[in-house]
Amino acid sequence: MIYSNTSRKAISKIAIIGIAVVVIIAGLGTYLYYTQFSKPSLKSSLVYAYVSDFPDLDPSIAFEDEQVILANVYEALVFYNSSNTNNPLTPWLATSWSHSPDGLEWTFNLRKGVLFHDGSELKASSVKAAIERTIRMGLGAAYIWDAVKEIQASDDYTVKFILKYPAPLAQIASSQYGAWITGPSTPSNDTEATEWFNQGKDSGTGPYMIEKYEAGFQVVLTKFDKYWKGWSGNHVEKVLVKSVRDPTARLQAIKAGEADITLDLPVDYLKELKTNENVEIISAPSYRNLLGMINTKQEYTNNVLVRQAISYAFPYDAVIKNVMQGYATQSRGPIPVGMLGHFEDLTQYTYNLEKAKQLLTQAGYPNGGFTLTLTYTSGDELEKQVAELYKAELEKLGITLEIKEMTTKAKYALARGDPTQAQHILLFYWWPTYITPYDFLYSLFHTEKKVIFNFAYYYNSTYDDLIDTASQLEGTDLNKALQLYHQAQEQVVDDAASLFILDMDTIMITNKKVHNFSPNSAYTEVVFFYDIWVEA
Amino acid sequence: MASFKTYFLKRIILALVVLYFVITITFVLSHVVPSDPAELYVGPKATAEQREKAIKELGLDQPLYIQYIRYFKNLVNGDLGKSLRAHTPVLHDILTYLPATLEIVILANILALIIGVAFGSYSALKKDMFADHLIRVISVGGVSIPSFWFALITQLVFFGILGIFPLDGRLSSDVQLFNPVHTVTGFFTIDSLITGNIVAFVDSVRHIILPAFVLATYPIGLVTRMVRSMMVEVLNENYIRFAKANGFRDNLIYYKYALKNAITPALMALGLSFAYSITGAFLVEVIFSWPGLGTYTVNAILENDYPAILGVTIFGTIFYVFINLFLDTLQAYLDPRVRLQ
Repeated sequence: MIYSNTSRKAISKIAIIGIAVVVIIAGLGTYLYYTQFSKPSLKSSLVYAYVSDFPDLDPSIAFEDEQVILANVYEALVFYNSSNTNNPLTPWLATSWSHSPDGLEWTFNLRKGVLFHDGSELKASSVKAAIERTIRMGLGAAYIWDAVKEIQASDDYTVKFILKYPAPLAQIASSQYGAWITGPSTPSNDTEATEWFNQGKDSGTGPYMIEKYEAGFQVVLTKFDKYWKGWSGNHVEKVLVKSVRDPTARLQAIKAGEADITLDLPVDYLKELKTNENVEIISAPSYRNLLGMINTKQEYTNNVLVRQAISYAFPYDAVIKNVMQGYATQSRGPIPVGMLGHFEDLTQYTYNLEKAKQLLTQAGYPNGGFTLTLTYTSGDELEKQVAELYKAELEKLGITLEIKEMTTKAKYALARGDPTQAQHILLFYWWPTYITPYDFLYSLFHTEKKVIFNFAYYYNSTYDDLIDTASQLEGTDLNKALQLYHQAQEQVVDDAASLFILDMDTIMITNKKVHNFSPNSAYTEVVFFYDIWVEA
Repeated sequence: MASFKTYFLKRIILALVVLYFVITITFVLSHVVPSDPAELYVGPKATAEQREKAIKELGLDQPLYIQYIRYFKNLVNGDLGKSLRAHTPVLHDILTYLPATLEIVILANILALIIGVAFGSYSALKKDMFADHLIRVISVGGVSIPSFWFALITQLVFFGILGIFPLDGRLSSDVQLFNPVHTVTGFFTIDSLITGNIVAFVDSVRHIILPAFVLATYPIGLVTRMVRSMMVEVLNENYIRFAKANGFRDNLIYYKYALKNAITPALMALGLSFAYSITGAFLVEVIFSWPGLGTYTVNAILENDYPAILGVTIFGTIFYVFINLFLDTLQAYLDPRVRLQ
């Protein structure tokens, strides 16, 4: 016998300490739970559980989802009110604007008494400096200012833009990317300024200031006392925007009341939430659509009859009903529903296999008998399901659809090579940088010397002329411009340069205690926190 | 002492060689994975000019070996490059996320040390008795339970069923909004205490317990097993019997003579597990939405933000290699036999 009884006791003391530690931790946890401090009233605060993070808070560069933050911290010259379709452009930092008859000179009159977060007043020189910085850096959405030749600060409250060619500058100035007005506290060195912004500093005029920025995780916003609209009435004073990537976690957060607003939940979860009394589901057009660009230079699809035939073979309703659970509408041409330049009288292909067969017969393929390739981005569930449903339909026409799942890079590399060797159909999404039909019509179907996004390889000079002219007229004669856009869209729909599949909805989920919230489609997934209020 | 110096030098050189290979392998791997760094840098809707400008700026038009040399040159100057997505210096990001990780990792290792040593020595004393078997089962469980599974189970039990602890994060939303912690050390539990923010302290402790405990399960098992086996061995040594025969107090024998000798290997193992956890805690971090280095790394990998991936890898390697080096040197210093190997 090596150990005595007393030595055992000595060792067991150590064990007792160990057990004590476990007990203390468990006890502490329980104690903390039962003595939980009384929660402060949540009336003045709000939590927004967002889907992704905000990688770059530099307002001149930000081009991902940062508008969710920036639109509350900064303001632009013009506000785009998407619910007012007839007259969406409303004053923001500019109270009024005008242009010369030829549309080459634009004058904006600034609002007086607007303060930046550092206390200095909004002056024309700041507007000039802010936009010039964006243009100079040439990153993000800087190209929206491409038409600008020169910016003049005529006096303290007047900014004049001299353009190289006519452009709808008021619309451009309302962009959610690259149009935010930064103030004089921005460091003068451009790259230093980027670092400054990404440390969570800001130089805006908006109702909120960035209090804390934890890159990749969350942003805390706090009210700016001297905001020019004032703080009388019901407002939210503090906001926490969290990046919650996992949809289940977002669902938990909204169900448990941890988040007041969230978005982008799988449709199965929405079904469950519909019966939840504390939660409201709000959907609005997103200005984002899913397209299947058809190669007009590749064998088989270079025949317009084949392109029309396969446009009639797409199961639009089935996709919207079964895949999207109704949270989408069938596209009518390239411009999404609700957006400027969308026309309800535009031609639309419907699911009609007989018509498709007829067209194929005309084209000389009565029984199909050929293979088409379709590429989509790996990991994209929607694109995948769309591709598979489409494959089944084409099979009925004797057409084999070869579906290729590819990384974004590989998909674009193939599409940007020789069109005659490229895919037949490419699935991808489009959305506008600023609200103009030209964004869609130019990027997707305008002739390109080198392929960028015109994956239909659709080169049509009549079409090009129509939209180029329309774009120049957009600022000066909107009605005429819209007419031309209409004509151009009819052309491209008739030529079936793409499958116009569906226009997606933004689906926001709010706690019922959140009031006065309505999404503005021109500012993607932005919640204008100043406008809403939360019941205690 | 000359042999100690040679030993130390050898180890330093070896460490640098390891570092070099890790950097090279990571560099090559992150550059052969199909991705489009220029696109990530300028965004999906960039113009052709922007894209070309970015390619030039990032040096992507150069052959891979030139990019490699360039990366190395910058590295020597302490520049880990810029994140492609966020355009921020990677080193800055790493230092931002490090404290959150250190906070749980350090707490987890303290827990592991206390519980592991207590369990291990008690188990050694009760060798082959019921308590010993129980502790051995627990410790085997500790080293073999997958941490992500255990993390989910603790969330289910302590948040879902019992509702004792919060689900995830470092602080509750309302605490962040109304009692924000002012960063001093970056450890919220400490910062809230020294700034007298009791509400935030209580909240941060409630948030840290589950992830720290889950992270501690592996080292608890490890330390328990090592301490137990060493203790069993040491207790059979002649000098212990001699001490007993001389009527030394039990406390003295166990705390001073036995445990001290039994604990060293466990401390070494714990040191390595600590170094590993700096980047290896990502599963636990992601599940608990803990804003640390692990979560940062996962995001960087998902986006293929290669400067960030490289930066974290290099940082993690340096950390691991030098803790390893430190432990080995310490051991060599204390035990001359090690130097001769």
